[in-house]
Amino acid sequence: MLDSSTLIVILLGLMASWARMGVALVISILFSLGVGIAAGMSRVLERVIIPVLDILQSIPILSFFPLALYAFVSLNPILGPELAAIFLIFTSQVWNIAFGVYEAVRVMPGELLEVSRALNLGAGRRFLNLYLPITFPRIAANLPASWANGLYFLVASEIISVGGMRVELFGIGSVSAGFIISGRYLELLVSIVAVAVAVLLTNALVFLPLIRMSERYRMEEVPVEVPRVWLDRVFKPLKDVFSHAYLPGHRELASAFSGISSRMGELRRYLWPLIGVVLLTLTLYLSPLLSNIPTGIGMMLDGFTRLGVNVFAMLGFSVLRVAAAILLTLLWVIPLTVLIHGRRILESMVVPLLQLGASIPATLIAPLIMDMVSSWGAPIELGALIIIILGIQWYLFFIIYGGFKSIPSEEVMLCDALGIKGLGRFRHLYFPRIFPSLVTGLIVAMGGGWNTLIIAERLEVEGRVWEVAAPGIGKTISLAISMGDIPLLASATIAMATFIVLLNRLLWRRLHGIAVSKLRVVEEA
Amino acid sequence: MKVEENEVGGQREAILEARDIYFSYRMRRGGELPVLQGLTITIYYAEFVGIVGPSGCGKSTLLRIMAGLLRPRSGEVFFRGRPITKPTPRISIMFQSPSLFPWYTVLENVMLALIHEKELSREEKEERAKAFLDMVGLSGFESAYPTELSGGMRQRVALARALVSQPDLLLMDEPFSNLDPLTAISLRREILNMWMNQALPPSSIVMVSHDVEELVEMAERIVVLTERPARIAGVVEVNMPRPRSRRSREFYEYVDRIYTMLS
Repeated sequence: MLDSSTLIVILLGLMASWARMGVALVISILFSLGVGIAAGMSRVLERVIIPVLDILQSIPILSFFPLALYAFVSLNPILGPELAAIFLIFTSQVWNIAFGVYEAVRVMPGELLEVSRALNLGAGRRFLNLYLPITFPRIAANLPASWANGLYFLVASEIISVGGMRVELFGIGSVSAGFIISGRYLELLVSIVAVAVAVLLTNALVFLPLIRMSERYRMEEVPVEVPRVWLDRVFKPLKDVFSHAYLPGHRELASAFSGISSRMGELRRYLWPLIGVVLLTLTLYLSPLLSNIPTGIGMMLDGFTRLGVNVFAMLGFSVLRVAAAILLTLLWVIPLTVLIHGRRILESMVVPLLQLGASIPATLIAPLIMDMVSSWGAPIELGALIIIILGIQWYLFFIIYGGFKSIPSEEVMLCDALGIKGLGRFRHLYFPRIFPSLVTGLIVAMGGGWNTLIIAERLEVEGRVWEVAAPGIGKTISLAISMGDIPLLASATIAMATFIVLLNRLLWRRLHGIAVSKLRVVEEA
Repeated sequence: MKVEENEVGGQREAILEARDIYFSYRMRRGGELPVLQGLTITIYYAEFVGIVGPSGCGKSTLLRIMAGLLRPRSGEVFFRGRPITKPTPRISIMFQSPSLFPWYTVLENVMLALIHEKELSREEKEERAKAFLDMVGLSGFESAYPTELSGGMRQRVALARALVSQPDLLLMDEPFSNLDPLTAISLRREILNMWMNQALPPSSIVMVSHDVEELVEMAERIVVLTERPARIAGVVEVNMPRPRSRRSREFYEYVDRIYTMLS
């Protein structure tokens, strides 16, 4: 039964985790301000910083962890694990904020800079009076998404074993992992609900006021609100809270990704140099652990030799899993978005529910899924598929839902007038109109899917292991993390990152080409 | 006036009747905003009716109710004696913006209006769409995409799409307001010619506009609405020979009469 001491543990765990994520978020903002402003102001730095940020964000975050753990523990054995956890969370929060700052500085009207020059403002004043206000809205808008991202990796950062080193930090992630292992499902349920409530409260009390405050610094026009139904009177206050509650804020994410797609042109030129950057980054990561660079290269080669041709089977199986998960997700997302499109009352009931669901990180319920699947005697493959779906479905839903929202109402009315409905309407209107969002959703889901693979294909909690029978790149990475096998981890990570870059490039450019040439849909800026 | 083939015993036969139409929008802060308050309008066969009123009075709403796109809160619309609750291919509507699908060619956009003509083969549909594109002066542009056309040409495509189903009634919601004056003049002339030619659809036209001169030039009967909630302020029969000269004194008298009713 649930007793008060358990509730206190859950509450304390939440507070500890929230503090961890808060520290990471502050570091993320400071880092983003430094790097983003530098990249936005200097052409030379931009050339270096932006490709590096691009490649760093396509490296699976969990792969950073063992290296960071070793590095921080060797710096300080006591605080090391805590610092490593904060670092992991930081790497999950920072990229979208950094790109937001960079883009805000890039689009800043040149006159503002000239005025501050003319007023002879020093660097400090210029930062306070120009850069901070101009980047504030973008930072604030990205906070809920970053928080959700951080939450996603919280469980992994609080409880992990690398080689012989076993780390367990007190927090809601480790507390709920403990509940699963000891089979205390009621307590687990309570802590999951507590996380969802805490996310909603954080959004309502911290991020939303910040976003509101930042509105007046916005350069663009505020979008005009359309008249709504009476239900909004009830739901409006709630909706404001909910609309920032779901996993990675879809609009920010979508814009971040469309930003990436526009940078894809640059990426093509940088493709091979980029892969060089991956190698260099990882070698740099390795260097504190190794006596010298040549040994590092030797170990890396060793890792690749051990991966061998199996790497293609791993990537193949993994991409099949992600693709299957995406297809299954679309099977519910597309009918539901079609159903709620234009039915405002239904929409105002369904969307907040999904937003609530989206605020529960998949990582938190992953062990529960695996536990259930294995107790049914079903193959772990099924559990892996469910976890990948949990990890990607919200991106797909909210991005495609956003696409539906942007369909001009006159086109809908035209279909009414011409009597085009059902499948015909989907074919002639909905599909072409949502195609760009569908592509963005697929890219984002692919990205999310790959990160989820590491926990979906092989999950280890407190000594219990669930892993798929067939090969998988995520399984290999997870295994390498667990064994502390740095060469294998590095080579598998590089294989995965390279594959993601290639896949994005080939798939995205092709689909984008179709959107522009066949559907004549111009990507909105 | 178009040939009155539908005259029954000296009385003209109605093609569309809107009876006692009441409509309101639900407000965000609760309450209702009445838009149309008990409007009754009859459109006869072979008639060109203009509807004018202050902006925001509910002209477009009325047109959408006539098309069956919106349901009135109370009141009924009869088309050829039968109540209509949903859009029918016998009534076409043209919006202020052409609303063409950018992913389809001009021809495909027009053919979209024939989607329910099951008895026609694809070739027949193509033939018919081409004939109507020719009629609006767009032959040779069948395989162009809407983004490659000028605003006037796009509105012509929308006209062809509205006519290709050979409707009895064409509803137009400020169809010229987004066009430059020269383009608007030629498109107005073509629509009038098509309406006067009894071999061609449509039989009747209802046009909503805020341009009084335009209505006096085109319509036979002009319904003037009051401010929101709209009621009928008056009806003006325009008895001028065609083509009507915008410079004649008679023309200005009509225009002045309508402005007086509006203010």
